[in-house]
Amino acid sequence: MSSWLDYTINGLIVGNVYALVAVGLALIFGVSRLINFAQGSIYLVGAYVGWVAVVQLHTPLPLTIIVVAASAALVGLIIERFGLRPLQNSVRIAPLLATIGISFVLDQLVMLTFSPNPRALPSQLPDVRFQVGGGTIGPLDLLIAGVGITSALLLFVFLRYSKLGWAVRAASQDRDAAMQMGVDVNRVNQAVFGIAAALGGVSGMLVGMYYNQIDTAMSLQATLKGVVAEVVGGAGNVPGAVVGSLLLGLVESYGVAVFGTSYRNLFAFLLLVVVLVLRPNGLFASARQAPPEPLTGTFIAPSRPMRIPRWALAVAAAIFAILPLFPVSFYVLQTLINAWLLGMLALSLTLVAGTIGQVSLGHAALLAIGAYTSALLSLTFSVPVGLAIIGGGLMSAALGTTLISPSFRLRGHYVSIATLAIGEIVSLVILNWEGVTRGPIGISGIPPLSLFGYDLISPNSIYWFSFAVMVVLALLQGRLLTSHLGRSFRAIRDDDIAARAYGLSLNRYKSLAFIFGGFAAGISGGIAAHLYSYINHETFNTQQSILALTVVILGGLGNVVGAILGSVALVGLPELFRIAAEYRILIYGIVLLLLVRFRPQGLLGTI
Amino acid sequence: MSNIDRRTLVKGSLAAMMAGAAFSRSAFAQSSEPILLGVSGPLTGPNAQYGTQWKQGFDLALDEIMAAGGINGRKLAYQFEDSQSDPRQSVAIAQKFVSDPRIVMELGDFSSPASMAASPIYQRGGLVQFGFTNSHPDFTKGGDFMWSTSVSQADEQPLLAAYAVKRLGLKKLAVLHLNTDWGRTSRDYFVKAAKEYGAEVAVTEGYIAEERDFRSTLVRVRDANPDGLILISYYSDGALIARQVRQVGLKQVICAASSVYSPKFIELGGEAVEDVHLGTRYFPQDPRPEVKKFISGFKAKYNGQEPDAFNAYSYDAMNMAAAVVKIGGTDRRAIRDAFAKVKDVSSVIFGQATFDVESRRVKGAMNAELVVRKGQFALWDGKPT
Repeated sequence: MSSWLDYTINGLIVGNVYALVAVGLALIFGVSRLINFAQGSIYLVGAYVGWVAVVQLHTPLPLTIIVVAASAALVGLIIERFGLRPLQNSVRIAPLLATIGISFVLDQLVMLTFSPNPRALPSQLPDVRFQVGGGTIGPLDLLIAGVGITSALLLFVFLRYSKLGWAVRAASQDRDAAMQMGVDVNRVNQAVFGIAAALGGVSGMLVGMYYNQIDTAMSLQATLKGVVAEVVGGAGNVPGAVVGSLLLGLVESYGVAVFGTSYRNLFAFLLLVVVLVLRPNGLFASARQAPPEPLTGTFIAPSRPMRIPRWALAVAAAIFAILPLFPVSFYVLQTLINAWLLGMLALSLTLVAGTIGQVSLGHAALLAIGAYTSALLSLTFSVPVGLAIIGGGLMSAALGTTLISPSFRLRGHYVSIATLAIGEIVSLVILNWEGVTRGPIGISGIPPLSLFGYDLISPNSIYWFSFAVMVVLALLQGRLLTSHLGRSFRAIRDDDIAARAYGLSLNRYKSLAFIFGGFAAGISGGIAAHLYSYINHETFNTQQSILALTVVILGGLGNVVGAILGSVALVGLPELFRIAAEYRILIYGIVLLLLVRFRPQGLLGTI
Repeated sequence: MSNIDRRTLVKGSLAAMMAGAAFSRSAFAQSSEPILLGVSGPLTGPNAQYGTQWKQGFDLALDEIMAAGGINGRKLAYQFEDSQSDPRQSVAIAQKFVSDPRIVMELGDFSSPASMAASPIYQRGGLVQFGFTNSHPDFTKGGDFMWSTSVSQADEQPLLAAYAVKRLGLKKLAVLHLNTDWGRTSRDYFVKAAKEYGAEVAVTEGYIAEERDFRSTLVRVRDANPDGLILISYYSDGALIARQVRQVGLKQVICAASSVYSPKFIELGGEAVEDVHLGTRYFPQDPRPEVKKFISGFKAKYNGQEPDAFNAYSYDAMNMAAAVVKIGGTDRRAIRDAFAKVKDVSSVIFGQATFDVESRRVKGAMNAELVVRKGQFALWDGKPT
């Protein structure tokens, strides 16, 4: 019985840590309706500034906190001024992508400055431990709890009682109306980003001290857990974020208690999905609250797509089709094979995210389902590889649609967060369901690609095969978009209430989109499995999902040609920048930011 | 129209970049034409720290090889391509190396998904993939061009189990392991050996690499009431666990796998890693000449920094590569055949390394039983802690 007390205390302690990030995220979401993916990077910056202050400058703790808060706030202000403000009149999704790009750039800058080796960040508090239950807590636990709760309370008071706080809330409820009433919205945004960044920086430093360890990989994890906690508590709700974090900590701790350590994150993400499905506005949303997303589809703004004449597309396809006949190195072909595989994934995502407006952040899960199905079919049941890949596509369509269906009632950002969680859940199930997936050992010895008994092992034949599959899928999707079905999809995206009023069944159309999209992604995963011969739970990870979304937005949402062009660009650019060695991801991040800045509707525009 | 333009632009610049790279290198190499090895590994992304450690070991080994006259008078050099340990990039790098005639063999990649996804390309392209950290039991089964000096966990874990059970006298164990292919394979070998030596394994807990908080896991460990904790971890997570073990007030003996052997383990773990036992392949005061040379050379080159396990792996790998190229020359197939011919290559990890031609791995890693005393790794003196 006493163990349960310990699990509870441990859950609260770690929830405490999550709260620090979640509060900053909630504040920004509350005002700008933006999930700030760069919050984890600011947290990282804070941790390293703290390291410089403590280890190099030997500052006392209060001064360290001030230095860290000030530098992080400065970073936040720079992000707001130069990264996000120029985008405020563009597509709603552009700032989201910009924060992803900013987080690439910040993480890389920290890594290049401090090297990727983990560092010790010694705590500056006396090392006394207090016995609580079967475990102990230290002064740092109390400080973290203090900072979390105090900042949440201060923010609550600030938002409710100060004039700038009113302005913040007014701007979050209706930006245009607030501007008409004379609220300086830019100043509000600045204040919010400054505060949130200061908080993020301090939390990174405190968490670094807590574990006596900081490294450049801490950023993404912090963002993920922070987003979960924030949404559980009700996006944009600051006290809710604290409660959501504590709840998340508890659920994880009890999950470990009952099922073991390797199930920990599974429970975190299941909690998120359950909360989203049952109470889409979070646990603490009141009925009076304005809906968190606009009712009509301003999330994805319409733009005029660039018209490309058919003959030009045909010529381009022909050039790529005969490319292997020219003396092109296998390296270029392999890079393009990767681009075609990513292209299939992007086709899938551009359909569900662009055409019907369900922006998915967990699309790599569809790859994984297709890959495992195809690998296991061909290995265990000796199904011919060609059929196994189709099996992978079908399984991905069926399972993917089933998994996503509970979140069909969600809108805007919430769809993204639900799909992010579902993606993580799929990966964790693959890790833990050892009887079928062989767990962390993975599946090796997957037979190479073959078609009608002929092995496709030369780079040329793999190139032609993947290119042909992608072209067929692209043609099908192009046909779909011009059909009645495509128009219904876009109607749902642009205004789901109007679409429903016209008698369109939203769930049925969303299912259809996911079935088609799941099939394309599953095929891509299946081909990849046979190409690599070895897959495990890490092969198709979150970065892959984010990359796919970047491709789709870059190419233009819903735009079939854009998805393919985007894939070639985003597979090709990091390869082009190889010459820059360690700097290449930094350059990639900067290029991404510039593209979002100057072409937020994508290269070819939304269809 | 613009669509074509952009595509041709991308393609054209790809080609231009490669031509440029080839040109600058050939211009550089005209005088002395180094023998070139390809390295595929993480320099950015979540595993970047391991790639930078590889470089340190490689560079030290290369300095020594050059000082000793190079490869029959020729220079040896490597070209490091960043894969982020991502299979999509490691396969592109594999094609790049295979189609570059100057590359005579490849080293890496770091993680199993990235390495083994590239194996079919190296095998078909006839280029040796020398995976010196690839402990996945199926890695060398990818084909006769896959060779590995990674210590087989079938070798290492029984040594650790013997240390914990026979020498330290632990009878009831809790095993915490990284839930990766390496951690999982290691755990299975460890548990098997520990049971053979008569110990009971009370609980095993697998955790993911990003995990930072182990308090709840440690409640499970406490409730299983073990007399020793076994960490199958890398140094950063190993240090985190050790700290939290002591913070929650557990006093059990901790015994860790050799992969925690790094000065960072002590820096990150602080007082909590005092008295942690670990089985390693070499130790600071090791009298073996190859170890003395490695440690003193490393400290001299890197401002007094102590080398760690990953530095040693890459240092050994570069020395092994040099030995193989000395026999095999620059022909790719001859290099593959040379792996079967090299004998007793001086090695920090193995003492003398000779490949077992059947498994294409090296057997018989050295063993040292260390303990952390006063913030230093020291040979265990047999005294209980």
